[in-house]
Amino acid sequence: MPDQPAPPAPQETPSPTTSPAPSPARHEGHSGGGGGAPRRSEGHGGGGGGPRREGGPGGPGGGPGGPRRGGKRQYFRKKKVCRFCVDHVDFIDYKRVDQLQPFVQERGKILPRRMTGTCSRHQRWLGEAIKRARNIALLPFSTEL
Amino acid sequence: MDERIYDLIFICRPATPEEEITKIVNTLEHSAGEHGGKIEKTEKWGTRRLAYRVAKHREGFFVYMVVKSTQGDLIKEMERRLKVSDAVIKYQTIRLDEELKRQQKLGKHRERRASRRPRKQAPAPPAPPQQQVPAAAAE
Repeated sequence: MPDQPAPPAPQETPSPTTSPAPSPARHEGHSGGGGGAPRRSEGHGGGGGGPRREGGPGGPGGGPGGPRRGGKRQYFRKKKVCRFCVDHVDFIDYKRVDQLQPFVQERGKILPRRMTGTCSRHQRWLGEAIKRARNIALLPFSTEL
Repeated sequence: MDERIYDLIFICRPATPEEEITKIVNTLEHSAGEHGGKIEKTEKWGTRRLAYRVAKHREGFFVYMVVKSTQGDLIKEMERRLKVSDAVIKYQTIRLDEELKRQQKLGKHRERRASRRPRKQAPAPPAPPQQQVPAAAAE
């Protein structure tokens, strides 16, 4: 919550770059630190349905929504960034349970992307790693009685 | 066939004596030698809690190995041995070379990009620091 004033700025800055950005981003999935950032935000902009829906009932970020350019949505949700992209992770190890744990619910479910902000590629790798860990009893399939 | 890298994990009953586990490891090493493969690394993780019950056990002794092989038969043989062994309650082999290759490729890619375009980073910096701040705060 205290971060809320900050996020609108990063989102505003990359948005002008959004139009040139997509082409490199699509060719080469992993871009350097700078390239990665705008692409993330772009990805979330694509899922516009999310902010709209959640902005309605919650409506926490009404304030910062004002200064954004022309008549966009009033409500603004905090931008989620893929944690793996921030750390430049190229391989998610299924043996490191401590790394996987935050992406698994208590009952053993894999957390959806919309909750964690993981990018699609890392979510794919993450899912694979979690499933491997489950197979060898490092993570549960579900809670037992 | 190219050389392939596999991760092999097997879980023994918690009551298995240490010598028996060593024996299993030795047999695996032996069959690896026979099939022209090699066991790169063996790690005994010790007794850990299982995430779910396996063969009525809630704990198990984990052994982790990295196997290099050019023959798929080796994996077949090792898995057969593990299956036959009474002490082993679970095992899993995963082929990893392709993922490791991908990892290296991505790493190289990033390095190259970083070195190739220093000028592109001039407009970029404002974004990353601000984005990293919320990430750090969240952790």
